[in-house]
Amino acid sequence: MNNSIIRYILGQVLKMEAILMFLPVIVAVIYREEEGFAYLITLLFCGALGFAATHKKPQNFIFYLKEGCIATSLSWIVLSIFGSLPFIITGEIPSVTDALFETISGFTTTGASILSDVESLSYCSIFWRSFTHWIGGMGVLVFLLAIIPLSGGSHINLMRAESPGPSVGKLVPKVRHTARLLYLIYFGMTILEVLLLLIGKMPVFDALTTSFGTAGTGGFGIKNDSIAGYSSYIQWIVTVFMILFGVNFNAYYLILLRRFKKAFKIEEIRYYFLIITAAVAIIFFDICNTAASAFTALRDASFQVASIITTTGFSTVDFNTWSQASKTVLVLLMFIGACAGSTGGGIKVSRFVVLFKTVIKELNSYIHPKSIKKIKIDGKPVEHEVVRSINVYFITFMIIFTLSVFALSFEGKDLVTNFTAVTATINNIGPGLELVGPTQNFSIFTPFSKFILMFDMLAGRLELFPLLILFHPAAWRDLVHKK
Amino acid sequence: MSRSIHPNRKGLSIIIVGCGKVGSALIEQLSREGHDITIIDKNPQKIQALTNLYDIMGIVGNGASYVVQMEAEIENTDLIIAVTDSDELNLLCCTVAKRVSNCAAIARVRTPDYSEEVGYLREKLGLAMIINPDLEAAREAARILYLPTALEVNTFAHGQAELVKFKLPDNNILDGASIASIGKDITTNLLICAIEREGNVFIPSGDFILKKGDYISFVATRNETRAFLKKIGFKTNQVKDTMIIGGGKAAFYLAKQLISMGISVKIIERSKTRCEELSILLPKAIIINGDGTDEELLKEEGIAFCESFVPLTGIDEENILLTLHAKRVSNAKVITKINRNTFMDVISSLDLGSVVYPRYITAEAIIAYVRAKKNSMNSDIETLYHMFNSRAEAIEFRVDKASSVTDIPIMNLALKKNLLISFINRNGSIIIPSGQDCIKVGDTVMIVTTHSGFNDIQDILK
Repeated sequence: MNNSIIRYILGQVLKMEAILMFLPVIVAVIYREEEGFAYLITLLFCGALGFAATHKKPQNFIFYLKEGCIATSLSWIVLSIFGSLPFIITGEIPSVTDALFETISGFTTTGASILSDVESLSYCSIFWRSFTHWIGGMGVLVFLLAIIPLSGGSHINLMRAESPGPSVGKLVPKVRHTARLLYLIYFGMTILEVLLLLIGKMPVFDALTTSFGTAGTGGFGIKNDSIAGYSSYIQWIVTVFMILFGVNFNAYYLILLRRFKKAFKIEEIRYYFLIITAAVAIIFFDICNTAASAFTALRDASFQVASIITTTGFSTVDFNTWSQASKTVLVLLMFIGACAGSTGGGIKVSRFVVLFKTVIKELNSYIHPKSIKKIKIDGKPVEHEVVRSINVYFITFMIIFTLSVFALSFEGKDLVTNFTAVTATINNIGPGLELVGPTQNFSIFTPFSKFILMFDMLAGRLELFPLLILFHPAAWRDLVHKK
Repeated sequence: MSRSIHPNRKGLSIIIVGCGKVGSALIEQLSREGHDITIIDKNPQKIQALTNLYDIMGIVGNGASYVVQMEAEIENTDLIIAVTDSDELNLLCCTVAKRVSNCAAIARVRTPDYSEEVGYLREKLGLAMIINPDLEAAREAARILYLPTALEVNTFAHGQAELVKFKLPDNNILDGASIASIGKDITTNLLICAIEREGNVFIPSGDFILKKGDYISFVATRNETRAFLKKIGFKTNQVKDTMIIGGGKAAFYLAKQLISMGISVKIIERSKTRCEELSILLPKAIIINGDGTDEELLKEEGIAFCESFVPLTGIDEENILLTLHAKRVSNAKVITKINRNTFMDVISSLDLGSVVYPRYITAEAIIAYVRAKKNSMNSDIETLYHMFNSRAEAIEFRVDKASSVTDIPIMNLALKKNLLISFINRNGSIIIPSGQDCIKVGDTVMIVTTHSGFNDIQDILK
């Protein structure tokens, strides 16, 4: 295995983290906070380590899927470890486990917090916390691919390991141009949201951090009551942008090319909007009689549905107090998740569409046992290999899910808490129900359970297999024994 | 419209239809040169394998279909290359593409039925180029049989100059001679451009000493080549007869060419019907119906006494074995055709003599065209040829405009290392340049270099 390329990529990731940490330092300078020094120290440390690791260029730049997955998983782990250092140094999150949990939750765009009082944090720490969502949303290595020239064609394997969705398509022939286009769209939409929030008289700092949380579909609130305290205009803007960031980015590329017809014809996006509409309708009628007005009910229902299906995890009401039916709808939405190729998590709408069609095909084969029919998406046949990998993905997801719930159960908390805690982390959402509901946080768990949940967050963000491959004995053998 | 959102695009955008042997050779070479490549093939596995290997986009579908071409963004494409198995599909592909886009189109057409009409087809369908790998391979084989001491012969400047490769045998007068002494003692109208020794390729300077076992490539005019080889003690007569194994398209083209050169041809082909077809097409050739890999049959047909032997079956392994067999039982000049490029190291370590790679010949022609098209400066690539397994390139440039290389004595130009100006073709006469000669507007200039990716004559400068 090509170990030197993995070292080189990790070095580049560290260098990039050092550069990105300039932002919280600037924030600290603006607000004259001495916590900024913690970021400066971490920045210099990351930078020095990054330069040391990239000083020697690897002899060959060829790497295969195996190296791509290992490099991606290790990058995310390294990124999270170094990203948590400032929280520990400033003493704002003194426990190492908690600091790591908070950072992983940030980078994986989960938004599950262990902090009970967010507002007591320094501005630079709040900024860094939200900014990790933005970095993690589109992907660290996609960013790396956009700026660092890696020769050879095999680096599609890096993008494949990191991008959400069953099959990774390129927008344009070159990986580098594709990565740039994705970030261009991402950046543009974030700016647009910031501007619209500013129009709603949101303070600049709040507008920036809220937009980071929305764009990455992360969900770290900067207030203890998340978004509930803001005006209804701001809540609607956030709702719309959450839904937009949960759409497959291929659609935006097609819109940029002015192929509107093709963009709106993407089957996954149609189902996505169908599910959102249905869920909003059910919850709206369910909470209509308890809400202050029909308008409030509609706003609350839409916001919560958008927040959960896109796996963002902002909240405007404590949906833990809603009826069982509404809560169940939200939990189901948690599993469905956003579209493939978006910044959202979950199992993804496209996987469910294929799974659903597989079931129908199976049913048909009972009626016409010898009939042959291919599953189609967007009018194109889906290869057997893709269907198979989606089935395996679903089963693996369920195994990890079950084992995690089992591991958490030893703490003696109720099943709903454990179940939704795992659901909310593996799908990168944030809040669950009961003890981990929107007004609660994850600090109640023991460090052991927190590590289980951290693993779930990383596994969910990296689409399971890139992370699982780290546990394959062959991967370790190759990493330890050189040549 | 979409071009504005493509950041820093440097290369051309190219669609390649058909991912067979030639298709993948093209993908390998063109993606290395930094072009934006989209490939179309009906086979999803092939697309999957190639997109994993190279930085390209793949589309599964029929390349001649309008919808598929639109999906590949034919409107914004600079060049479409159709190299599927079927000639008709290739032509249809290019025709459809020409209707919707003003891209250039290149089609592969191999069937002898159309080969006579290539000029007509190209003009009427508005194609940039029609390529025929079998015909090109046959031409290369014929050139070698015309000068059997050489391992490879390639022509430049419309056939006036030849690039010849040979292996320096034991006890030759050149063993131990320096390049400069050849100019003094033997001839001045000749330039040694590249030498391969123990796997390394050198662009030699005057004090380079030749050794036995070297593979030497030199450039000279046609007559000069023969005079030189005669002087250093080689036979230069063309062969009198040839035995060809396999009666495919390449065999037909080669036989036709050899017969017109006055060489008698014997073809051994397994299929009876194909034999009958060939006997109608090639009345002067001897057509034998039998298995070319049958040792007894080869003995019966006189493999031990034939002057040259060319296995042209569709299977590389058969060709290689036949070559090795022929080398053992006879003194014939042997040319091996190799279609795929796997296990290149093993193949080059075997003593096969002359080897012809049809896929490379095709790819070279297309790459020369692509480089010339990309380049909008003051010269064009006429011919491009890869030497020593692509480790060196011979490129013929046409110089259209005055630039920083023209009208300056060559010795005053700051040339790159490992680069040689091999000849200047001025109004049809070949000049082997000395330091005092200059490049003038209207010349074509051939250079040999171990650098790759040259687009313009100015690339020769540091």
